[in-house]
Amino acid sequence: MAAPKSCALWSYCGRGWSRAMRGCQLLGLRSSWPGAPLSARLLSQEKRATETHFGFETVPEEEKGGKGDIAFRFLNYVQSQHQSKQKRQLRAQQNLSWEEIAKKYQNEEDFLGGSRVVVCDINKEMLKVGKQKALAQGYRAGLAWVLGDAEELPFDDDKFDIYTIAFGIRNVTHIDQALQEAHRVLKPGGRFLCLEFSQVNNPLISRLYDLYSFQVIPVLGEVIAGDWKSYQYLVESIRRFPSQEEFKEMIEDAGFHKVTYESLTSGIVAIHSGFKL
Amino acid sequence: MATLLSHVLRRLRGLRRLPGLPRLAAEMPLRARSDGAVAGPLYSHHIPTSPLQKALLAAGSAAMALYDPYRHDMVAVLGETTGHRTLKVLRDRMRRDPEGAQILQERPRISTSTLDLGKLQSLPEGSLGREYLRFLDVNRVSPDTRAPTRFVDDEELAYVIQRYREVHDMLHTLLGMPTNILGEIVVKWFEAVQTGLPMCILGALFGPIQLSAQSLQVLVSELIPWAVQNGRRAPCVLNLYYERRWEQSLRALREELGITAPPVHIQGLA
Repeated sequence: MAAPKSCALWSYCGRGWSRAMRGCQLLGLRSSWPGAPLSARLLSQEKRATETHFGFETVPEEEKGGKGDIAFRFLNYVQSQHQSKQKRQLRAQQNLSWEEIAKKYQNEEDFLGGSRVVVCDINKEMLKVGKQKALAQGYRAGLAWVLGDAEELPFDDDKFDIYTIAFGIRNVTHIDQALQEAHRVLKPGGRFLCLEFSQVNNPLISRLYDLYSFQVIPVLGEVIAGDWKSYQYLVESIRRFPSQEEFKEMIEDAGFHKVTYESLTSGIVAIHSGFKL
Repeated sequence: MATLLSHVLRRLRGLRRLPGLPRLAAEMPLRARSDGAVAGPLYSHHIPTSPLQKALLAAGSAAMALYDPYRHDMVAVLGETTGHRTLKVLRDRMRRDPEGAQILQERPRISTSTLDLGKLQSLPEGSLGREYLRFLDVNRVSPDTRAPTRFVDDEELAYVIQRYREVHDMLHTLLGMPTNILGEIVVKWFEAVQTGLPMCILGALFGPIQLSAQSLQVLVSELIPWAVQNGRRAPCVLNLYYERRWEQSLRALREELGITAPPVHIQGLA
């Protein structure tokens, strides 16, 4: 499928998207999935933060996905980390001299501890929706919104610590190119995380899922957004996407190491992770 | 395009009677998908749907049409998914009438591209064409807002429902009803009696929910009885080849159909 056509599809989807998404497209599970990649990382990193102050000093993170759901959760996490760090500092600084106190007032308060998020999407409408969401939820600092193509990212090499893409890579025409770009823009030691629809491993759930996908989702798309065809395309593109193992191999081919995946909800969705080492 | 194809198929079907000719594809039972939907589109814009999908669509579109009355596309979808049996009856009724049969054969369409607006403008006052144009102007509607049929699994029936939709504005002109909510409900009652389409019946019954008590009173006491009476008395309005009757005087046409003047003057009338 040619890139321009998918562009048009997604700009067309932009307006109806939020309406349709509200219509609980995938049984309301969708809202819990973006939390999963974050929590997977949080558990490992929290431990390290207490030991070595790995923290998030100058850790720009790239977020693929115009609406920024993951970006918001990341910012929340960073903020809460920063707040607990401040609390610890406060306890340690109960007996400061006047000079030290004066110096503290001169330092600019950065609630994010240097962390930044870049949200990148090929579709302007999606970015607009994301910006509106950010404003509505009160996120102002630390976010940059960039229009760009996953197959040809407008960023320099070795720039980001983390690259996440949620339900986006399925729509890229050349997935291998997107993976190579992800590899390019990540710093050595950076982590690639991808949340995407995958193959269901349980036969009973697979049948129910197929029934729901093909019979119900286009109907919901028509009733809520007045658009049957886009949602028909959606469920077909989900079926065309490679399985967990195949996608794992594609990520390895792009140069990532220690590639793992975790299936959620019997494989309806999977999180793939890889490191640039 | 679909018209041409069906013409050819119809001619070929006639040849079937000759011995030695193989059975044509059109005579084969339509292949079904595993979910029970027809395989492949039968006409442009056709989206084959399984019985389950049709049921879900009918329920969903009905709910959405009630929730958001401006979703005219939902009313259309409701009509398409619930009307199969009624459309067959309508189609047969059209076949039995000579003018209706011609319409089925020639498949005229009403849109700004097929109407000669200049010619209609030049017609004398009181003629069907002139009054139709006036109706479009005063109510600020266009014949192009009718969405193409998508969920009917038979291309002739798809045309019948398309014709019904495009004739809707004609009915407004014939009945002298404006396009406000009251006028629409009156026309719906007329259509419900005339066509028996489930969508019309549902619209006629549930449309008045949003009306004020005063309008409801007028509707029930005067307008509905008038609409039902006229609907029963008039022959099937789908059998009128409107495109050939532009010059006919509106009053003469109303007399021909037995349509009397509305009992109450509804605001917004031309």
